[in-house]
Amino acid sequence: MSEATAQFSDLGMEVPVASIGRELKRLWEADEASTNASMMNFAVYSEGPESLVRNSGAIQELTREHACRALLIGMDRDAPETRIKAWITAHCHLAHGKKSVCCEQISFLMEGKALGRLRNTIFSHLASDLPLIFWWQGELSDLFEAALYRMIDRFLFDSAEWADPGAGFARIREAAVARDGIVLQDLAWTRGFHFRLAVAGLFDDLVAQRALGEVNSVRLVANPDQRTTALLLMAWLATQAGWRLGLELDIAAERAEGCDECFTLESREGRSISVKVEWEAQSAPLSLLEISAPDFVVSVSRDGEADFLHQRLECPGHELVLRGPADGITSTDLLAEQLSRGGKNGLFRKVWPVFFDLLRLTGP
Amino acid sequence: MSNPFREELVSQARSEVCTVVILGATGDLTHRKLVPALYNLAAEGELPPGVKIVGMARRDWSDEYFRDSLEKINREVSRSGHCEELWGEFRECVSYHCSEFQDAEGYRKLSERLDEIDRERGGAGNRLFYVASAPEFFDDILEHLGKAGLNAERAGYWSRVIVEKPFGTDLPSARHLNRIVNATFQERDTFRIDHYLGKETAQNLMVLRFANSIFEPIWNSRSIDSIQITCAEHFGMEGGRGGYYDKAGALRDMVQNHLLQLLSLVAMEPPTDLSADGVRDEKVKVLRSLRQWETPELVAANTVRAQYTAGHVNGKPVVGYREEDRVDPESMTEAYVALRVMVDTWRWSGVPFYVRMGKRLPKKATEISVHFKDAPGVLFSALPGRVPGGNVLVIRIQPDEGISLRIISKLPGASLRMEPVKMDFHYASSFGKSSPEAYERLLLDAMAGDATLFARRDEVEEAWKFIDHLERGWHATETPPKMAEYAAGSWGPVEADALMASEGRTWRRL
Repeated sequence: MSEATAQFSDLGMEVPVASIGRELKRLWEADEASTNASMMNFAVYSEGPESLVRNSGAIQELTREHACRALLIGMDRDAPETRIKAWITAHCHLAHGKKSVCCEQISFLMEGKALGRLRNTIFSHLASDLPLIFWWQGELSDLFEAALYRMIDRFLFDSAEWADPGAGFARIREAAVARDGIVLQDLAWTRGFHFRLAVAGLFDDLVAQRALGEVNSVRLVANPDQRTTALLLMAWLATQAGWRLGLELDIAAERAEGCDECFTLESREGRSISVKVEWEAQSAPLSLLEISAPDFVVSVSRDGEADFLHQRLECPGHELVLRGPADGITSTDLLAEQLSRGGKNGLFRKVWPVFFDLLRLTGP
Repeated sequence: MSNPFREELVSQARSEVCTVVILGATGDLTHRKLVPALYNLAAEGELPPGVKIVGMARRDWSDEYFRDSLEKINREVSRSGHCEELWGEFRECVSYHCSEFQDAEGYRKLSERLDEIDRERGGAGNRLFYVASAPEFFDDILEHLGKAGLNAERAGYWSRVIVEKPFGTDLPSARHLNRIVNATFQERDTFRIDHYLGKETAQNLMVLRFANSIFEPIWNSRSIDSIQITCAEHFGMEGGRGGYYDKAGALRDMVQNHLLQLLSLVAMEPPTDLSADGVRDEKVKVLRSLRQWETPELVAANTVRAQYTAGHVNGKPVVGYREEDRVDPESMTEAYVALRVMVDTWRWSGVPFYVRMGKRLPKKATEISVHFKDAPGVLFSALPGRVPGGNVLVIRIQPDEGISLRIISKLPGASLRMEPVKMDFHYASSFGKSSPEAYERLLLDAMAGDATLFARRDEVEEAWKFIDHLERGWHATETPPKMAEYAAGSWGPVEADALMASEGRTWRRL
């Protein structure tokens, strides 16, 4: 077995690209005991061929709850020779302890020239009538182009992986305009789902609702690798509460005082709200959100990779301490959560205006 | 005042913080269904923060004993597993209040306790009373809740009640119960629970019918030959249930509520909107349209009631119905019932709905099967061999929830031979994630004030009107229709097969 072949042996049986359909049919005919289930086409793209085996592991996990036809694409654009290799396999699970339900996976290793080949390879291997969910790993490249995203129903990405989120989101906005109806899902947004849910839950409390108009400071502690995760959470908070970004002069003044990630928001009533974002290298993606008013604090926190969020509401004579579920840590967990929730994800786009302002005005 | 952070966060109706008071808290329902449902909601972050649970019952238990007792069962039955850390916090939200259901002082103390919980929460609060006691205590509980003022709305805070089935034992008792309930709680605050409506497949019925454009044009007497609704149970009278069941019978225990609810979802017209009353208005029209057979003879001709005799279920010998624990040896209560039901509306004119429910049948299964008319035979009738029957759409409610469609297909080969094939959709295969328990959904809906999946007063009364008419038909003559028999482990009495055969039909084989 050659080194290259051994590297990809976990991807299943290597087959000629032209006969993938025939080989898949054979695969199913060989196993009459299993049910082939598929609710979607799930394409995973990465510009790193070594990702194929890792992503196959992720699909093995995902297909426990999300039956799909998986298309894994590993692209090596720097390879001197233009060629393509393909493997097929099936991931099987006992559904509810009863019968074996299997999902098929086709993996492609593409080398050399990429433009045009990527979309053609995907389009020619889609299961008909099923939606195309596309998970793009890493930076968006020139291969993320209109001919590709016009065919995509749900586009998943992780802006926390981007070196320049501003540029990445510019491409995402382009796609949103060009492809009406595409659902855009950023795993950085998904990472904050249970934080948002916890904040909303705490503000169900009437005492908290009364205090909302008095809020004068917000403190957010996050992992420095999760800048967009943190800013998306802040943008949501500000958008929903109706807080506007303060004057740029205020931000300049805060910076002059040595605080890079401090800025001011202005409430509907004109009250000034000071916001401080702190980065802690060893912390959870989001480790603390604290919203304070005189005699009132609401906080949501997470210790490391704990499975639970601590939720606390404190004011004189009234205290609420709760524990709620936390968001997944791995991309696979987040994807599974996101796919379970489905929906149009309209709230994500709603917070964009504030988020883009925060991206522009804060950070490096 | 509103919570801006809730906006657009999740698509379902927002459940509000409240204190859930379970009356009859030491019973099986609380331990096996209600508290595990609340715990699972908490584990998934769906339970509004600050929800408290107060169990009330007659037994002299402490908070700690009650919590331990709940914990023991939760470990066994919780859908999401049992997490020590989470349970540790959840149990702190649970407390126990000991009182007789007829003791006014007990309700006064309950009221004080609830006020105290509200104060700890920062003011007044919402209250959700879950009447999970034996039916004979319903009157007392509701009356005392009213006398203690626990039914009253207070400055924007609601007080709601969930009532478990049975909603009465006949129309007069249902009306009486409804009067008592509505004298205490407003109808909009009354939630009559029928857990069948909380099941995913029951909820999916409306989606299947109204979100798929291919079905509605053929969902009528022009295309549909008949509809069968089956609820089969392999259980008998285990666990002492014979005492209750022998007073109720299959017709009152299952058909009046679960099966007529399913029938109304299948037969109703499209609602004008998805509001609770929009949907329930249409369901109640179906119940009002159920034909009441005019004479006892017609009732007898369109119904079959039966008891099982000794037989085998799952390979094990079982006794007959009359030999069961707590069943009268001369009982005339049916453990099986089959009905031919006509829905007298334009849409369903001439389409019989066959409804059957039985104990000690070969397996546990609930399903609805829609049998379409045969295609005109002009093309294929001249061919040798038979033309197989028509299309059948099956909606499996439990277990193995899903939908299948039988279509006719050509067998491969040179000759033109046809056989039925099945296209099958299984929830479990396509959606790996397990569905929430019916009680989880229904408790959240009650906290959100969404009564769509609960029975309204007029639905309950119309259903009883229909059932009482059948009962009167059975018992109004000197020679009531005989009690048929079937061997335990079989698919019911031959009389039920004859009910179908007289019209050239057969029960679907499950």
